[in-house]
Amino acid sequence: MKRHAIRHYSEEELLMHILGEEDPEGSAIISAHLEECPECRVILREYRQVLEDIHCWRVDEISEAAWQEQKERLMAFVQNDGKTSFRNFWVRLGGVFSQTWDYAMSHPLPTLGYIAVAVAFASQRTISIFRLDQMLPTTGEVIQVLKLVL
Amino acid sequence: MDSLKSDEDLVDDILGGIENGFSQLYDRYRRPVYSIAFRIVQNSEDAYDASQEIFIRAYRSLDSFDRRKSRFYSWICRLAANYAIDCWRLRRRRAETQFPEASGSHPLRIPALVDAIRSPHGELENKEKVQEIWRCVDALPELQKKVFVLRYFQELKLEEIAEMENCSLGTVKTSLYRATQTIRRAVKRGGGQS
Repeated sequence: MKRHAIRHYSEEELLMHILGEEDPEGSAIISAHLEECPECRVILREYRQVLEDIHCWRVDEISEAAWQEQKERLMAFVQNDGKTSFRNFWVRLGGVFSQTWDYAMSHPLPTLGYIAVAVAFASQRTISIFRLDQMLPTTGEVIQVLKLVL
Repeated sequence: MDSLKSDEDLVDDILGGIENGFSQLYDRYRRPVYSIAFRIVQNSEDAYDASQEIFIRAYRSLDSFDRRKSRFYSWICRLAANYAIDCWRLRRRRAETQFPEASGSHPLRIPALVDAIRSPHGELENKEKVQEIWRCVDALPELQKKVFVLRYFQELKLEEIAEMENCSLGTVKTSLYRATQTIRRAVKRGGGQS
């Protein structure tokens, strides 16, 4: 009887299958393949064993007293740092900008309206304060300059 | 009520000058941070000292934490892994200068392994395998080491690791596979022939 050539999965693919790091569709296909393929099942079993071995590696425990000491040192640092730095001011200022940006992104139309009003108000004030209207050239002056240039 | 606050709310508290927020974040994350440091520097004293420095760095760079990009947990794990890798690199360089003939292996630390692999029941478990894993992890390239620790022990998703390392998901997958394969081969060879 003729057998179809089986596409074996790579070790990397099998490892990702164990870890659940492949897409659901891929996972179903590999599962189906594993039911039929003893060779891939052997590799899969070996990797499962390796993962079990890896998790035998435990960390040295630190005593609660040592943790408390460290916490006290850190809190002393934080309190000291809070008093001596200007960081909070900048952070708060950053927070205001960030909130304004979030509002602008979620309410674009009202924001455009506010900007238009602010620009109109500011330009009117600027023109009246600095008398910019007197500094603008008249139409006759512009024509004269153009004649000279051309 | 404070104990129910999310990490992000605690970060806001700290940035707003409420120091108690930092105390809570420390209680939540001291163990994961220490665990990462321990598995990378492979020494409890160094890992304990590293944890303190990691929290100081976290506090100082808290305003760079962007909740839209990552969870606080993965942010602090990345910080811990990066700092631990720096410590490991420094220690390795020092060891190579002091014992140039022993570069690549660390015979001086082997006795310390015995204490490190005690199970909570006080029994030695899979001693040789764990020693072999320990040696392998120590010799892994930096990215493989980081991915290995963050995925297997801190259970970060590979996508998160890729994002934090600024590389492709494929690179992270391959790194994890290579690290696991190295350990698989070493365990298969049989431990204890250092």
